[in-house]
Amino acid sequence: MNHDLMRQLAEILPRIQGFIYPNEIEIHWGMLIVVYPYITGVVAGAFILASLVKVFNVKEVQPLYRLSLLTALAYLLVAPMALVSHLGHPERFYEILLTPNTSSAMAMFGFVYAWYLMAVLLLEIWFVHRMDMIALAEQHRGAMRFVYRALSLYSRDTSERAVAFDHSALKVITIVGIPSAFLLHGYVGFIFGSVKANPWWSSVLIPIVFLFSAIVSGIALVILLYMIINPLAGGKINMKCVDKAVDFLFYAVIVDFSLEMVDFIHRVYQSEEEIKILSEMVMNKLFLSLVVIQVLLGMLLPLTLISITKIFRKRFGASEDLRKMVYFLSVLLIQFGIFATRWNVVIGGQMFSKSFRGLTTYKMEFGGLEGLLYALGLLILPLVILTVLLKILPPWKEMKELRGGAAGGGLETAGS
Amino acid sequence: MVKFPEKIPDSLARLLVVFLALVAAGAFVVLVVIPRPMKDVRLQWADDIKREQAKPVRYAGFHVCVECHGEIYEMKKKGYHRDLSCETCHGPAKAHTEDPDKVKPVIPAQRAFCPLCHAYNPSRPRGFPQINPVVHNPLKACASCHNPHDPKPPTTPKDCSACHGEIARTKAVSHHVMLACTTCHEVPRQHKISPRSVKPSKPQTREFCGKCHAKDARDKMAKDAPRVDLSEHGEKYVCWQCHYPHSPEVEN
Repeated sequence: MNHDLMRQLAEILPRIQGFIYPNEIEIHWGMLIVVYPYITGVVAGAFILASLVKVFNVKEVQPLYRLSLLTALAYLLVAPMALVSHLGHPERFYEILLTPNTSSAMAMFGFVYAWYLMAVLLLEIWFVHRMDMIALAEQHRGAMRFVYRALSLYSRDTSERAVAFDHSALKVITIVGIPSAFLLHGYVGFIFGSVKANPWWSSVLIPIVFLFSAIVSGIALVILLYMIINPLAGGKINMKCVDKAVDFLFYAVIVDFSLEMVDFIHRVYQSEEEIKILSEMVMNKLFLSLVVIQVLLGMLLPLTLISITKIFRKRFGASEDLRKMVYFLSVLLIQFGIFATRWNVVIGGQMFSKSFRGLTTYKMEFGGLEGLLYALGLLILPLVILTVLLKILPPWKEMKELRGGAAGGGLETAGS
Repeated sequence: MVKFPEKIPDSLARLLVVFLALVAAGAFVVLVVIPRPMKDVRLQWADDIKREQAKPVRYAGFHVCVECHGEIYEMKKKGYHRDLSCETCHGPAKAHTEDPDKVKPVIPAQRAFCPLCHAYNPSRPRGFPQINPVVHNPLKACASCHNPHDPKPPTTPKDCSACHGEIARTKAVSHHVMLACTTCHEVPRQHKISPRSVKPSKPQTREFCGKCHAKDARDKMAKDAPRVDLSEHGEKYVCWQCHYPHSPEVEN
């Protein structure tokens, strides 16, 4: 064995426990692949929140409607960046669109993505803002006027008939959009769930678990953004709206948690040959990110916090600030929890040897395309895009709306 | 009379224009920009076949070898190497068949060649003949004992190895190579007559291995054996749950 090889071995061997195949030492799906399902999850979740208003007529969350659509768009634009950057040859990504391989789920991502972007999100945003864009074009001069004109596709029809058509079109798009949002994120879960050689991923429940965690992360993020952006823009937080949204979030977290528990109990009860190595991985390598961050801090603590506001209705109903604080803390924790969920799925699935006899360690780079810095950039980029979108298509009027004088609204109506 | 376009709402008409423009652009790219070989699998196959056919033929195939080397072929046909083609060891020989005097195929005589298949490697099937090239008759050419066209072990396996060749070969490359089978197994005479109904004994206790491997073992065979403290090593497990006695390298 030559000297170089010895040196390399000496470097990697401390990362390994037990027996592991040589091609399993290095974890190939790194931070970028963690970021990708997190971001698409936010997209799907934010869209589901928007559809609450349009399809299920939940009037209370109307102030979140446009914000959630724009959030979905901002995150959707970044979602493929994580994947494309992860490719060995990012400059060749378009080839999977030119020569589609219909029998590969991974190669179909471009089409799932394009469908969701073009047929659902852009269309819905266009119909929602068409009238606004016509009005904004009137108010502006110079380049911005041209931008609004072009964005509205030079539409000038503000007749009642046109507005009525916008509304019915929106309804149809949202109805098509819900299964599409499910498709987008269910697809991400499907990619993992269909890897039959990997017992950590291979489960029919994975797409469903992904869906519900997506709904959780999307709703939580939009609430978080609303609670930050609205005061910054000079508005007052509409507590009736936040109460209602947190209500939906609460149920989504319960469903998500139950599904994950079903998956967990099922695995433990089945006790297939991989259970030993998986339990060792969970109790050692993933203890912090799975047990502490994902389950305790990301799910049980927020659930407890929100439950407390429901149990002690009188106390919390009277003090908005107290409720705001609890909600803010909960949605923030949930964000970290869901990110940890993605981490545990993606990294966890590669940490144990397929011989079920060893574990490796994920060593994240700092710089470079697969590094922490770049991943952080990708996580911040949607917020930058969102800022630009909020400047172009301001949702302030809707966000600042305090319908029904709900400024002092208690929890009496929430959850009914 | 109502004109047709007026029936379509203004916004929908505009979107339709954008949609059609996108479809047209997509169709243009797919139909015109992408070269045909990228889209058509049959064309790709045809190109592949052309590419492959353009490569020079280097292998002759054993039928051609048989024409001149019939004797060797007949010998090889009966030996363990019957499933190997001549060119597996002798290399591509097309040039040799065209000009037998000028071009000679390789005769791999160096010791490094045979261990490519026959060096001990735990991933190989246990019954496959394997040796440790370092200790197996060092410096002697393989062909000095084994005829490569009819490779047989120079001595016929006998005693236990006649039936338990797999174990014998495994043991032969292990640290237990010097131990006779009867060191650990008591073999009743009847076993050789009806091997399935009368079986040899197997060690049952940790203390048995401890005769050589315990800290205070006194057996003279145990001079260089690795020692462990039986009261601490391996908890409640018996030795052979971790160490395969016929190849007792530490596996875990």
